[in-house]
Amino acid sequence: MNLFRRELRESRPGLVGWILGLAAAVLLYMPFYPSVGGSELMETYVEMFPPEVSSVFGLDMMATGAGYAQASYFGLMGFLLLAIAAIGWGSRSIAGAEESGALELTLAHGVTRWQVLLEAGLALLVRIAVLSAVGSLLILALNGPAELELEPVNLLAVTVALFLLAGLVGIAALVGGALSGRRSVATGLGAITAVAAYVLDAVADMATVPWLAGLSPYHWAFGQDPITTGFDAGGLLLLLGLMLVLMAVGGWRFDRRDVGT
Amino acid sequence: MTVAIETRALSKRYGPTAALAGLDLKIEPGEVFGLIGPNGAGKTTAMRLMLDIIRPSSGSARVLGKAPREGGAQLRRRIGFLPGELRLEGRARAGELLEHFARISGPVAPGAITQLAERLGLDLSRPAGKLSKGNKQKVGLVQAFMHRPELLILDEPTSGLDPLVQQEFLAMVREASEAGQTVFLSSHVLSEIEQAADRVGILHRGKLIRLGRLEELRAGRQRRVRASVATADGLQGAMAGLERVRDVRLDERGGETQLSLRIEGEVDQLIKALARFEVRDLLIEEPELEDAVIGFYRGEEA
Repeated sequence: MNLFRRELRESRPGLVGWILGLAAAVLLYMPFYPSVGGSELMETYVEMFPPEVSSVFGLDMMATGAGYAQASYFGLMGFLLLAIAAIGWGSRSIAGAEESGALELTLAHGVTRWQVLLEAGLALLVRIAVLSAVGSLLILALNGPAELELEPVNLLAVTVALFLLAGLVGIAALVGGALSGRRSVATGLGAITAVAAYVLDAVADMATVPWLAGLSPYHWAFGQDPITTGFDAGGLLLLLGLMLVLMAVGGWRFDRRDVGT
Repeated sequence: MTVAIETRALSKRYGPTAALAGLDLKIEPGEVFGLIGPNGAGKTTAMRLMLDIIRPSSGSARVLGKAPREGGAQLRRRIGFLPGELRLEGRARAGELLEHFARISGPVAPGAITQLAERLGLDLSRPAGKLSKGNKQKVGLVQAFMHRPELLILDEPTSGLDPLVQQEFLAMVREASEAGQTVFLSSHVLSEIEQAADRVGILHRGKLIRLGRLEELRAGRQRRVRASVATADGLQGAMAGLERVRDVRLDERGGETQLSLRIEGEVDQLIKALARFEVRDLLIEEPELEDAVIGFYRGEEA
């Protein structure tokens, strides 16, 4: 686990930065629930926009604390920030090290390629887990003061969903690097995963094509509304399963290809 | 004893270009072998193939008796590798980085890192990413030597080192060889490693064009010679009479004659021929590898 530890140590300053950013986002949104989400203003908004628009931006959900937290943080800002962090870390790990030439020296030592990929993946997931936990702990702290009335178990459920969704995006970026060794490909694969997940869900919702949502990892995470209904094992397993498939494909290819050429 | 390195028709192609075209090489245990060639000749490709960083298009390699792919991590623990383009990054101090490498390579004796660092004059407390090129190279050398591997694969080991450290490095290579470790190193300049290497191979465009003991190779090398002579009378004739001398040029300049020529192998005859003239200055250049390669191709074409 030496590669895992080194990766975590090296990215500590970045992690601190992301924690501060995420905390700012939570503190910017959550305290305003009583004056925005729960107010009559929101009802006016919902009536003003066509129902499709309200639905895409989750305006229609904002009347409850859970809906507000989902629409503003878990489904939007939290997802966005975590996805960006995950793509950055995921693409830096293998692709970044390979482009800089540092990976060559690591691989010349007593480590296997599978080990490099698995430990990088684990270090990535740990960082995303820390970020997810920090965001949700802050929300839990604001639960009372901001009158969100969230059930702690449901908050945990939606946090796990967000963690796995962002984790999947990060793993996609990491695997992009394992497949190609190029940062552009790694970033691209991560970004495509994040955008496609979000867009498929939104389009499915708007155009009422429910089977499209079935293809969306975003829908797997949030489709059953875990923040009000609790854990959705099916969705979480789908996220986990796709992650494992990506890792398997990435590791298979990484083990066979040339590095650094 | 198992052969340290053995390659058979080892080749690596990238699309239509062959980075390495059928390398046949056998390096015995305890030997110091130098692979010489201009940049792009295939030296780095050969080394990466031996470490399983890249895979051959055809042919095979055995390193310490094992194919690099099958030998895997276990085999690489028995090798010390210095990459040609060493990249050290991050905030970790040089010492921390070396300890990290120690944990993922063969067992490192306590104190080995400090000892090597002192020998090369490396400050272990500085962040590795901020070191100068020469000091990064020292970190690279320490991590290659610290676990006393059976085989050292060093790509351009002297690049960026000042002359004193180069001498220290050559001493480390000699000691390694005496201790039975095999050293496989590369350079684009023969003079940098000729003090260390027992045997040398010259690589050109992916092919091994010469292979032999250093003395044999030296004999075929060309040197440029320049001399200032007081009078040119009879000089042209005297030079024309010598074997293995070519490209003779005479220029009158400032009341002297500037002589320039190329000579292959021994210089004894030339010196004796020149002794009959009033020589004011004489410069015999260190033989260039490029000249050796050019010399070889001339011979081949003729």
